[in-house]
Amino acid sequence: MSIFAPLIEFRQAAGESVTAHGFTVTPWSRAIVVRLPFARVVWNRPIGVDVTADNVTRRLPIGQASQVYRSPVIGVLIILAIAMTFNRFRRNHRQE
Amino acid sequence: MNVSTTVETLVGAKARGDENAQRIFDRILAAAQPSAVFSAPVVSGNYTVITACQVAVGGGFGSGLGVGPTKRAAKDQTMSVDGSAPAEELGGGGGEGGGGGASARPVAIITIGPDGVNVKPIVDATSVALAALTAATAMFAMVFRFRRAMRT
Repeated sequence: MSIFAPLIEFRQAAGESVTAHGFTVTPWSRAIVVRLPFARVVWNRPIGVDVTADNVTRRLPIGQASQVYRSPVIGVLIILAIAMTFNRFRRNHRQE
Repeated sequence: MNVSTTVETLVGAKARGDENAQRIFDRILAAAQPSAVFSAPVVSGNYTVITACQVAVGGGFGSGLGVGPTKRAAKDQTMSVDGSAPAEELGGGGGEGGGGGASARPVAIITIGPDGVNVKPIVDATSVALAALTAATAMFAMVFRFRRAMRT
């Protein structure tokens, strides 16, 4: 166990199973709990669902769709900023 | 009010405040349960729908107390030789405060139907737009500063 265990804790837990149409769905979540002497912070997000049908269980992950879109947008902006800076640097160099 | 009563009152009030804080901390920790992330299933026609959210909760508290000689005691110079004030000339006070916040946003919808189980991700356009705007502002500010630095 980490020495930070009392301060930072990772919890992975299954929610209540739901059965419908022959499928049993068990949702899973992962939480990060930060315990400071006079403060608490909890960040909890779903990680996937276990689907059981005909005694076969498979995991359907729940991805961060917004993150998938956010990262390229930020990446493009960083590249654009570097390109603009480089372009300006080159023009200045040429003028000299 | 004598010293011991003042101190007892203050310590008691602080203990009650700490208990309240602990109760609120326990409520914050309830956000770490899967029930905070997944909604109760909703049945509509042939489909059962469960929504999945990302939840972030935080909160903090602080408290303090103090005891000291009253203004009258200081003015009358009734302090004893060893520096301690007479029992009747002491006063005290305490206070506590706190703050917190929570946010939740949908991440996916889980549907259970005759055709199987589907997980449909939800794209939070506002969050993407805000991230882009923040990044753009930071980048252009950096470029502007760099250009100005090169000019000088």
